[in-house]
Amino acid sequence: MTFSANSTTPGLSRDARTPAEPAGSGGPVTPARSGDGVAGAASDAGLALLPGRATRIRRTIVRLAATPSGCHLGGSLSMVEILVALLGRVMRVDPRAPKAPGRDHLILSKGHAAAGLYAALAEFGFVDVETLVREYNADGSVFTGHVNAAVPGVEFATGSLGHGLGLGVGLTLSHVLRGEPNRTFVVCGDGEMGEGSNWEALQVASHRKLTGLTLIIDRNGGQNDGPTEAILSQEALVQRLDAFGFQSLEVDGHDLPALVAALEAPVAGGRPRAIVARTRKGAGVPMLKGKGPHYAVFSQEHLRRALASLGEDA
Amino acid sequence: MSASLAPALDLARSPEAWLAAHPDLSNRLVFRHAAARFAEEDARVVFLEADLGGGSDPFEARHPQRYFNLGICEATMLDMACGLAHGGHTVIAHSFAAFGVMRACEQVRLNLAYARANVKLVCDYGGVAGAFFGPTHHAIEDLAVLRAMPNLTVVSPADGLETVLATRAMLQHDGPVYLRLGRNRVTRLDVPRPPFELGRAALLREGDDVGLLAHGEVGVSVALDAAKLLEAQGVAARVLNMHTLKPLDEEAVRETASRTRLLVTVEEHNVLGGLGSAVSETVCTLDLQRRVLRVGLQDRYDSRAGSHEALLKGHGLEGGQVAERVLEVLPRTPVFAVESTTRRD
Repeated sequence: MTFSANSTTPGLSRDARTPAEPAGSGGPVTPARSGDGVAGAASDAGLALLPGRATRIRRTIVRLAATPSGCHLGGSLSMVEILVALLGRVMRVDPRAPKAPGRDHLILSKGHAAAGLYAALAEFGFVDVETLVREYNADGSVFTGHVNAAVPGVEFATGSLGHGLGLGVGLTLSHVLRGEPNRTFVVCGDGEMGEGSNWEALQVASHRKLTGLTLIIDRNGGQNDGPTEAILSQEALVQRLDAFGFQSLEVDGHDLPALVAALEAPVAGGRPRAIVARTRKGAGVPMLKGKGPHYAVFSQEHLRRALASLGEDA
Repeated sequence: MSASLAPALDLARSPEAWLAAHPDLSNRLVFRHAAARFAEEDARVVFLEADLGGGSDPFEARHPQRYFNLGICEATMLDMACGLAHGGHTVIAHSFAAFGVMRACEQVRLNLAYARANVKLVCDYGGVAGAFFGPTHHAIEDLAVLRAMPNLTVVSPADGLETVLATRAMLQHDGPVYLRLGRNRVTRLDVPRPPFELGRAALLREGDDVGLLAHGEVGVSVALDAAKLLEAQGVAARVLNMHTLKPLDEEAVRETASRTRLLVTVEEHNVLGGLGSAVSETVCTLDLQRRVLRVGLQDRYDSRAGSHEALLKGHGLEGGQVAERVLEVLPRTPVFAVESTTRRD
């Protein structure tokens, strides 16, 4: 099934950097209704602001690629719109209270794409962007090259692959047991689906009818050693997820309205949700020609060109 | 097993009486009853099972909403356990030691140990308790693997009473714990013992010739048997129950070294990496200047069928065999106390 873009999806949310109302640190997140993201915009006009956020996140990511140790660039860039849709629109989160009890949870299972998540968390006010760029992979910093739970907004240390979905299943079950409405969003890579633990967790999630769980697969078609299809095929992912009991659909993972619509569409029949987001490694940075490297250490010249291609003079 | 055993007796308030009323329950079943009872006092406790619960679990009977048999998926069970703990639950996850510790080893490392998740990994079939099921179902490396993981507390109770007390203690402890049990052995030690405390070894018997340091259902009972046999030979054995392998009670090792001439570790585990290694490390680190005789599995798998007792005998894990080994290697001449050897005056 292919999900078409729907630009009329409603939703009210607040801009993280200009909060409309105060929220106590550590206090519960109290959304007006399901689907409100606190870090997005107040209407469909707000939806129009999301691409700008994606661009700013990409600028931060390429700056992180230009730090001495570089970053997992291709897979960080491929998932930018996924994170923007989640943090900017769909999820109930509060950057001023990242551990608030009522929050929705984001688990980046493909934890090697830490640069992408950190950059997104900076865009939405969880961390300071200049601190991030200065301290990324530096001695003593919390900003490690694979996701670190010490960073505000990060729930679990990931990057050893195949854990995020199981963590998400357990977390969702904890909310079911408590009768709480919190939702859990797990972002996996397509190469990561080679890990058998994911398929264990899929079975448990559908057997337990964990409707509060959403799996988003960043289908960028690449993994460490090359094209996913050449190494371990992930053909027919949507059908496979469907067969495992998920309500599954495929979207263009760079189409923000389509992503938002897919994430906000109702789920039927007690099924967890799975979204296969077709993306491109290195997406959004033209100089990478849509097939960005898995890992990159940018020179200052690379950075200048990348920022220029993102509309910014270095 | 029955979920409605002896309703008149309260396992939590009078565990000894409760155990006396159920003399044939293995310690792994004692654990399940204890977990079910203690979960009544704490609604946060949930129990995860990976198809090895045995069909009629007391926890499931008492708390069906908090018992989740997930099927045969140990890795996901332990990832889920961390997720549940992140959501505020106290999680008990059960499997056989070979699977819970080693098949799902990385889940334990990242999502229990590193994450300091409030998860209690409880595994039976420790050592060769799986006996004739063969090495696929033996766990002779589990303690070595988990002892090397920071943040984990590793506990191996010696009998039914200690299983009850350890279950309560681990549920009250905020953090990841590995609790290792056997299979069908029904151990009821008839010795006075100090109150149970995680990380504090229990002195079971005093003696000044040899120090027997043991853990677990097999180790401690074999050590006590050996101590009795040695006594008949005029050799006084000090017996310590090192139920907590990590953190190890190093002061108890030092004390035992200072009071005896030889240290002997007794455990149903490979001599590499378990209590034998832990005590040897402590002896070297603290410069205790004692020989350590490590009784246990001598770094080999055991692919022959047989009863648990027959396998143990094949590995020298019997009271008489341990006593003989002690008599062979016990220094004939007295050695100086540890303090004397380290003083210069």
